[in-house]
Amino acid sequence: MKTRLNLLFASVALSAVLAANAIAQEDDPSLDISKRCTICHTKEEFKQKYTSDGTRSVYVDIVKFRKSVHGKRGCQECHDDISQIPHGKEVAKVNCIKCHNVANKIGAPVTEKYEQYENSVHGRAASAGNKEAPHCKDCHGTHEIRRPDDPASLVFKNNIPEDCGKCHKEVLALYKKSIHWKALSRGDSNAPVCTDCHGEHNILKPVENGSTVSSTNIVQTCSRCHADERIMSKYGIQSEQVDTYKESFHGIASEFGYITVAKCNSCHGFHNILPPDDPDSTVNARNLAKTCGQAKCHPGATENFTKGRMHVSANKKESGKIYWIKTAFTWLTILVMAGLVGHIVLDMFNKIKEKKKENEHHNKSAK
Amino acid sequence: MSTTTNQPNNGSAIDQYIAAKILDEINRTIPETENKDAIVQKLCKTVKEDIESDIHFQIENLVREIQKERIKEVKRLAKEKEKAAEYFLPRFSLMFRAQHAIMFVSVILLVITGLPVKFHQSDIARLFFSITGGIQVTAFIHRIGAFGLGIVSAIHLFYIVFTKEGRGDFFQFIPTPKDVRDVIMNLKYFFGLSKAKPMFARFSYVEKFDYWAVYWGMVIMLGSGVLLTFETNAMNLLSKELIDIAKEMHSDEALLATLAIVIWHFYNVHFNPKKFPINMSFWTGKIRLDEMIEEHPLELKKLIQENKIDKSKIEKIRQLDKDFFKNVGLE
Repeated sequence: MKTRLNLLFASVALSAVLAANAIAQEDDPSLDISKRCTICHTKEEFKQKYTSDGTRSVYVDIVKFRKSVHGKRGCQECHDDISQIPHGKEVAKVNCIKCHNVANKIGAPVTEKYEQYENSVHGRAASAGNKEAPHCKDCHGTHEIRRPDDPASLVFKNNIPEDCGKCHKEVLALYKKSIHWKALSRGDSNAPVCTDCHGEHNILKPVENGSTVSSTNIVQTCSRCHADERIMSKYGIQSEQVDTYKESFHGIASEFGYITVAKCNSCHGFHNILPPDDPDSTVNARNLAKTCGQAKCHPGATENFTKGRMHVSANKKESGKIYWIKTAFTWLTILVMAGLVGHIVLDMFNKIKEKKKENEHHNKSAK
Repeated sequence: MSTTTNQPNNGSAIDQYIAAKILDEINRTIPETENKDAIVQKLCKTVKEDIESDIHFQIENLVREIQKERIKEVKRLAKEKEKAAEYFLPRFSLMFRAQHAIMFVSVILLVITGLPVKFHQSDIARLFFSITGGIQVTAFIHRIGAFGLGIVSAIHLFYIVFTKEGRGDFFQFIPTPKDVRDVIMNLKYFFGLSKAKPMFARFSYVEKFDYWAVYWGMVIMLGSGVLLTFETNAMNLLSKELIDIAKEMHSDEALLATLAIVIWHFYNVHFNPKKFPINMSFWTGKIRLDEMIEEHPLELKKLIQENKIDKSKIEKIRQLDKDFFKNVGLE
C-alpha cells in the first residue's frame, strides 16, 4: 500500500515536472501541440473526474485515438477553444459540423445524415435545450470514433443495442428478452437491432407519422425482413404472414383508414418480441386470449376467440376447411356462370334471329 | 302528254305549235337566214327530246313518292296493331314490387361498398376509398345496406307465410319436373332441333332460378354478415375458425351474387333484345298482353279459366295470336 502511494506521489511529481516543461515549451512552434496535450491527458489519474461538474473523465487513450478515424488529426482541430496550456476546467463542446459540412476543405465526409439528425427526435430535443439529448458523440463516441462497419465501432451493428441502451436502459432490458437479441448474440447478422426498425439519424417518435414504427408504417417496416422469403426461410418462419395480414380484416382496415386496428406489434409486441412457441410470447396459445382481449381491441375475449389458425390463408390446403370452402365456391361460381352465360348467348342469338324474321316480314308487306 | 311522245311526225298540234314558235323566234332574231325549215326541224327534235326526258324524270319521282307513302301507311298500321296490344294485365303486386325495390337499393349499396374490400389491392379500390373518405365511411354504408336486406328478408318471410298472395307466389316459385322439361325444350328450340317453345306459367325457370339464387345468397350473406358485424361476440361464442369461414363465404358468395345479378339478371331484364333498355314491370307491376301471351301463356290460361279476363281482352288475344287458345288447350 505504501509503495503504491509512493508510486502515485512520484508519478504526480513527475507529471508536474513534465507539465512545467510543457508550459516552458509552449511557445516553441516546432513542437506539435497534440503532443503537449497528451502529456497530461494520457495519464492514469486523468481518468478521475476532472471536469467542473465531476461527471466525466478527461483521460484520452492515445492508442485507441490513433486507431480512430480521426487518429491523424490534432487535438486543437476539434478542441479549438483551447489556445493555451494549461487550460481551465471549462472546455467548450466539440462541434462536429465544423468539419463535417459541405464547405470543408479537409475531406471530412458529409452526408444528409447531419440534416436528418437536426429533424430527428434527438436533434429537436437538443436544439430545444434538453441537456440529456444526445449529440453525435453520445452515440459515436469521442476519441475512439471508428467507421460503422468496423466491429470495434460503437455504432457497429452488434454494438448498437448497448450503444442506444446507454440512455434507453429499460428498452435495452426488454430487447434482451427478445428473439431478435437472441439471434444477434448468436452472431446472426440478419437479426434486427434498434436502428433497423427505428432508423438512425432520422429517428422519430412512434406517434409521429413519418416514423418507421408509426402505426401507418410499422407493417412496412416489419415486412422488410418478414416478407423476404430468403431471410425467413433460414428460421423456418413463413414469409406469407405479411400477405395474410394484409388480406385480413385488420390489414384491409388499416390500409384504408382505421388507425386503431391491430398491426404486427399490437399482437406480437415489439422490443421483447418472442416466437409463438415461447411461453412468454404474447402470441403463445396460453397468452393469446389476453392479447386479443386488450382493452382497446376485443375486451372480454375468451379462449374460443383463439380457436383456429392465425394468419390463415384460404389458398393453402393446410388451412383445412376454409381452403375447401373457397375451392367449392370457386367451382360453383365457374359452373354457374358458364351455364348462365351459355344460356344468355343462345337466347340472344335466337332473339336476334326472331327479330330479323319479323323485320323481313315487315319489309315484305311494305312492298 | 302521251300523244306528244307517241307521234313522232308533224301531225300533232303541239308539234305545230313548237315549230311555229321556233320559226317566230328565228324570224325575229335572224331573219336573213336561209334554209329555215331545216333549222326548225332540227330544233324541234332537240326540244322534243328534252321534254321527253323531263317527263320520264318527273314520273320516276312520283313513283318514289307513292312508294314512300305506302311504307308509311304499312308502318302506321303495324303501330296501330301494336297499340291494340297495349292492353295490360297485372303481374306484380305493390307488396311484391316494394320488396324488390328495397332489395335492389340495398344490394347496390352493398356491392358498391363491398367489392372494393374484396379487391382492395386494385387501383379502383384505392380510388374509391380515397373519394369516399375511407373504410369507416363505406363500412357504415355497407351496414345500412345490410339493414335494408335484413328488413326485406323479414318482410318476405312474413309475406310468404302469413299472406295469401305471398303463399300463392311462393308455391309457384317451387321448382317442378316441368321446369326441367322446359329447360330441355328451350335448349332444343335454341339449337333449332324443335320449333316449339316451352310455355311458362306465372314464373319461368329463369325467374325461379333468380328467386332461389337470391334465397341462397340471402341466407349466406346475412348469416355470415351478422357474424362478421358482431365479430367479438361471435368469436367468443363460437370460434375464430368459424369467423374465418364466414369471412371466406361472405367474400366468395358476394362475387357469385354480383356476377349473377350483373350478367344474368341484367341480361334478362335490361339487355335482352326484346326488353332493352328495361322491362318496366318491376315499376308498373303490369305486363303487356302480347308479352303475357308470349312469356306466360299458362298464367294467362289460368286467368281466362278463372274468369279474371274481361270479354274485350279475350277478343284482343285472338287478334294478337289466333292460335293461342289452341296452343294452351282451351279449344
